[in-house]
Amino acid sequence: MDNSIIKITDLHFSYNGLKVLKGVTHSFEKNTLTAITGPSGKGKSTFLTTLNRLWEDVPGAALQGCVELKIAEKWRDVYASSMDIAALRRMVGMVFQIPNPLPMSIFRNMAFPLKLAGVKEKDQVQAKVQEALERAFLWDEVKDRLHSSALELSGGQQQRLCIARALILEPMVLLFDEPTSSLDYQAAGMIEDLLVSLKESCTVLMVSHYLDQVSRIADSRLELADGKLLLSNISR
Amino acid sequence: MMINRDKTFKTALFICAAASALATLLIFGFLLVFGLPLFKGGQFFLLLGRPWAPGQGMYGFLPMIAGTAAISLLSLVVAFPISLGVSFFLHSLAPAALGKILKRLVQFMTGVPTVIYGFIGVFLLVPLIREMFENGSGMCVLSASLMLGLLISPTMILFFSDGFAAVDKKYIQAARALGATRVQTLLFVVLPNAWRGLMTGLIMALGRAMGDTLIALMIAGNAVNVPSSLLDPARTLTSHIALVSAADYHSMEFKSIFACGVTLYLLNAAAVIAIRRFGAVGKDKAHV
Repeated sequence: MDNSIIKITDLHFSYNGLKVLKGVTHSFEKNTLTAITGPSGKGKSTFLTTLNRLWEDVPGAALQGCVELKIAEKWRDVYASSMDIAALRRMVGMVFQIPNPLPMSIFRNMAFPLKLAGVKEKDQVQAKVQEALERAFLWDEVKDRLHSSALELSGGQQQRLCIARALILEPMVLLFDEPTSSLDYQAAGMIEDLLVSLKESCTVLMVSHYLDQVSRIADSRLELADGKLLLSNISR
Repeated sequence: MMINRDKTFKTALFICAAASALATLLIFGFLLVFGLPLFKGGQFFLLLGRPWAPGQGMYGFLPMIAGTAAISLLSLVVAFPISLGVSFFLHSLAPAALGKILKRLVQFMTGVPTVIYGFIGVFLLVPLIREMFENGSGMCVLSASLMLGLLISPTMILFFSDGFAAVDKKYIQAARALGATRVQTLLFVVLPNAWRGLMTGLIMALGRAMGDTLIALMIAGNAVNVPSSLLDPARTLTSHIALVSAADYHSMEFKSIFACGVTLYLLNAAAVIAIRRFGAVGKDKAHV
């Protein structure tokens, strides 16, 4: 049985004429954690943004090929004109290298995606905020200061807040762009545990430079080299 | 060596800043000294209320204060939404090439002499208002406010655009990744975080509106009455100063324009403080 959730076929990507991806073809299975490794500046982060169309905000970028997402057991072309980009980004969440909480309270950061999605019912918002913060192992640390600025949190807490914020929309796929590279060892460890736990509910793609981290938590590893994704071994 | 150079540079910058502050104080002092005959014995406060009738020894400028307030505030009401819309468009919606051309055009507009706007007002806007409303000469508060709104818009647009551009890109990226549309990103992320730029733009534009002489002089009608409708003619403090400055140097009429200057100075300062206070409150609310 085909357990894939993302199917990429002959994907090409260029930035101001520079070819970054050259005919990438790959499928990602549901509820797995795939690590994408490779040298810096070779398009790993760009590859992630081709899955939620975030690259479209960058002037001078161009894409060719096909990216499909299995929604309700049907394959949908991510780049079809009928695809609602906002809805796509709710299904394919993304967490960045540098934690990026918005300059507002912890609660408002968490409620922000729900506000965008049109969820207004207060009790529902509060319940979802608590649930997402609990899933990100952050609830106990912030429950007494939900209305304090999110910028007052430590780096690791900010990153867990960003993960919780992405989780609140219950995405099918979560993209992580080097989520621990700006954190200390302890905070990185917490994020790793969190990433492993997320596999139960969604498919995780993670760009990482740390092969030891990949060997600890990833199910498979893809190496991006010369614009192509190659399946690589994980040494445990 | 390097430390000495740094110290010299710091001293030079301090001198520049101090000279600028001193110049502002000197101008205020100059106005006070020349208006002294009217300030003695508390006459200044009488001036704020009495009508302007130099022939009867009355030099009040309440009508000019009302004219200034009406025209400058209305011009701000006209210019603010236009400037905000254009800045939004330039920041997030315009294709790069079009955005560049538009921004150049806006920059060019800030350098167009006021008298050109005045001419357009006299020959285009005033007849239009006159024919549209069929009430009066068309030289009125509305005409002056619309033209002044056009004059101050480029200043506002540039400050607003700079304010938007200064918003941390990672906030915008976060919102976009969470499914925010461009308009939602502007409303919920860019606007609250560009508050300082918006307030600075408002202050600069209001200062320009209150301080402008020529447009009000050419198209506001210059009647010495407190305007009761948008179609009434009015006189601003600046155009009053320009009109009265031809009077005899030793006359009380001439000396009254210094009191007029002090009033304009204080009105401007009050408006800046009000915007700053409002801005601080708004910023706090936006970030809770």
